[in-house]
Amino acid sequence: MKTLRLQSLAAALAFAITGLYAIDPGPYQMAAFVFFAQPLFLIAGVGYAWRVWKDLKTREVL
Amino acid sequence: MELTDLTRMLAGLLCAVGFFLCLWLPRIDFGKIDPDRKVNLGFATLSGMAFFKLLALAALFAVPAASVAVANYHTIEGVHGVESCNRCHVMTPMVTDMQDPHSQTLAARHFRNGWIPKDQCYQCHSDYGLAGDLQAKMEGYRHLARYTTRTYEEPIKYRGVFPNDNCLKCHAATPKFQAVSSHATLRVRLAENTLSCLNCHGRAHPTREQRTPDHADYPRLMGGDE
Repeated sequence: MKTLRLQSLAAALAFAITGLYAIDPGPYQMAAFVFFAQPLFLIAGVGYAWRVWKDLKTREVL
Repeated sequence: MELTDLTRMLAGLLCAVGFFLCLWLPRIDFGKIDPDRKVNLGFATLSGMAFFKLLALAALFAVPAASVAVANYHTIEGVHGVESCNRCHVMTPMVTDMQDPHSQTLAARHFRNGWIPKDQCYQCHSDYGLAGDLQAKMEGYRHLARYTTRTYEEPIKYRGVFPNDNCLKCHAATPKFQAVSSHATLRVRLAENTLSCLNCHGRAHPTREQRTPDHADYPRLMGGDE
C-alpha cells in the first residue's frame, strides 16, 4: 500500500455532496447523494479494502 | 432543537471532518513512512505506520459509514414535512391548495380544521416513497430520478390506486364513521380497495386540468397572485 489517491478523491467528492445535501436537502442534492455520493463511498471503501488485502498478501500475512 | 436539525448538523460535521481527512490522505506515501517514527496520542503511542493506516481506515471507512447513516436518517425522517414535498415544484399546486382557506378539497379541509396537526402530506401518503416499504422506496427513487432529470410531464399523474387504508387508519375507529350505515355496507369493498373513499368524499387535491401549465388556475396554484 503506497498511496490512496483515487480512493481519497472519490471519498472527498462524496463527502462534499453529502455535506451539501445535509445543509440544504433539496431534490437535486438528494439525487446527487443517493445516486452519486453513496456509490462513490462504496467505490472508495472497496478500493481501500482491495489495497489492504493486496498489502497483506504482499507481506504474506494472508 | 429538533432531531432532524441535530442530524443535519451531525452529518455536516462528519462530512467536514471526512472531507479534510480525504484531502490530506493522498499526501501520505505509506512506502516512505519512517519505521521508527512514533505518534503519541496522549492515551497511547502508535508506530507511524499504524497511525496512518488507522487514519486511512477512519477516512475511507468509518467516517463515510457514519456520514451515510446520518444522512440517510435525514433522508428518511426529513421527508415527512410538507416543506420537503414542496421542494419539488410539481407538488406546489397540492400544497398551495391545501393551505388555501377557501378550497374545498379534502386536503384543504383536513388542513384548515387542524385534523392533521403536522406532516400533513406524509400522514395521508405514509405508504409512499423513502419512508415506506421497499417497493415504495423504489418508487420514491424513481420519482427522484424522473424529477431531477426532468423526464416527466406536467401535470403529474398518480400511478395505481390510492389505498383506503391511509384514510381508514384514522377514520375507521371513530363513532362518526361507524354511525354511517353505508360504511358498514361497503366495508369489504373499502378494505379490498375496490371502491375509493374519494368516490363519495370528493377530490383530495386540484384536478389534473387545474395543474396543467396552460390552465387559468395554474399560476395561482403555483403560488402566484390570483
